[in-house]
Amino acid sequence: MGQDQSKPTDSPVPIPKRSESESEPKPESESSTPPSMESLLAEATAYGNKDKDLSMEEKAQKALECPCIQNLRSGPCGSQFSDAFLCFLMSTAEEKGSECVIPFVALQRCIQTNPNAFPKDVLENDDVAKEEKKKPVEDYKIIPPRSRVQQSERVVFNNLVSEPSC
Amino acid sequence: MEAEMNCNNLPNFLSSFVDTFVDFCVAGIFLPDPPSPPLFQTSFPSPDRLIAIGDLHGDLLKSKQALRLAGLIDSNDRWSGGSSTLVQVGDVLDRGGQEIKILYFLEKLKREAVKSGGNVITMNGNHEIMNVDGDFRFVTPSGLDEFTNWADWFCIGNNIKRLCDGSEKPRDLYDGIPSSFPRVKQEYAKGFRSRIAALRPQGPIATRFLSKNLTVVVVGESVFVHGGVLPNHVVYGLERINEEVRDWIIGLKDKVASSLVRGRNSLVWMRKFSNEVAKDCDCSMLEHVLSTIPGARRMIMGHTIQEGGINGVCGNTAIRIDVGMSEGCINGLPEVLEINEKSGAVKIRILTANPVYQNKNDSGEIKEGIGLLIPQQVQVEA
Repeated sequence: MGQDQSKPTDSPVPIPKRSESESEPKPESESSTPPSMESLLAEATAYGNKDKDLSMEEKAQKALECPCIQNLRSGPCGSQFSDAFLCFLMSTAEEKGSECVIPFVALQRCIQTNPNAFPKDVLENDDVAKEEKKKPVEDYKIIPPRSRVQQSERVVFNNLVSEPSC
Repeated sequence: MEAEMNCNNLPNFLSSFVDTFVDFCVAGIFLPDPPSPPLFQTSFPSPDRLIAIGDLHGDLLKSKQALRLAGLIDSNDRWSGGSSTLVQVGDVLDRGGQEIKILYFLEKLKREAVKSGGNVITMNGNHEIMNVDGDFRFVTPSGLDEFTNWADWFCIGNNIKRLCDGSEKPRDLYDGIPSSFPRVKQEYAKGFRSRIAALRPQGPIATRFLSKNLTVVVVGESVFVHGGVLPNHVVYGLERINEEVRDWIIGLKDKVASSLVRGRNSLVWMRKFSNEVAKDCDCSMLEHVLSTIPGARRMIMGHTIQEGGINGVCGNTAIRIDVGMSEGCINGLPEVLEINEKSGAVKIRILTANPVYQNKNDSGEIKEGIGLLIPQQVQVEA
């Protein structure tokens, strides 16, 4: 404590470059991307009129039928996801979801047992995934603690991200 | 959730479900709705009751004991302080393994307090600034674990959102962060990556929690700051200081002036008024500073551990409240400062868990400006 600090990097937050490629439409992934805007709108209109007569539970149940979450409802934690999401949608507590401890814990445990229950790459093609791994990193300086976390010899700085991203 | 649910807006519902689920996995709590608009102001009128609490350093249990001592939380850890104001003078981070949990807990109290007319003010200490800067010298292995766990759940949450067509694609959490660091064992690299991702400017934890911190705040007659305020800071402008630090934390500005938050004369590092040896405190400088801040009569600081407990010097115009309560510090007994300046006469008390003061029950209240502050023992529930 007490020493003067100087800032390690001027701008540790790189925003540009990548955001461009992200905001651009990716033509080849179009076909693998589930429903088009039209079909979503059609769905919505179809539900729209009848909704008023439905109970909270029926509405939530109907929401579970929406195409965009079908991926989430399949797979090893699909049923846990459905239970937790349904409970959350129906929650009326001031801290929304606070009645859902049991289904939340079940989903949490399932994900811990199946770390790839909801992989991020399902909807992405391989090119995108590979491209992401080549992203250059900033020259990041950190000051680690003196104790246990340090190793004696210097490690060569790896300038490419090879770790999984998120 | 006011809007009718349909397949069009389902991604919004899914997103709020995921956020709630991730909060639950990371901190084990459910947050009430945030107050709107969010409070970000530099001075506040005297509240009915004002409680100040010192450095917490990753020790959630001690933090709760201190809050309970102050009567601000009940046995279910809910805000029970009514219209009281709580000021936490910074240094939630480092030296312990429950840093994120404390940030969440204070956020929960903020939201609960607002509903009952109270207020919770959190502040930047030097350790908050250091972590945003990537200075991890006081990080513990358990602190790395907590951030790794946070990052894992945060990423799982992002993946779930992305699996539902229509959810916005979040920026990669680790964007630009290397996979290894000089002088760091590889087994800890993930912890540091997570910590950088969370706490760098614009990082999710920095943005969500630290950006709401003030660096200096005036509540009634009391100026709160982690280290201390010097004349040049007053000239710079207290409001401007708060805004510039915040803008740096949220990534709106590239830099923040080192004279404010780095170095021995900055607001969060200085020890001019908190030196344990009373004669080393610069009372005349303090008097000058206080005279330039309208309505200010005392400065309340953390940062320097007071082994003998909360105390005042310079005729109680400098009150030092860091008791090193965290297990990662000196494992000090929780103590909090209570100020009541509503009804004319100012009453300042020290509420302490120290059993030495057990028999001095009602003699604790003293009038401002008379001699020493006398601690009053309050039972802490187990």
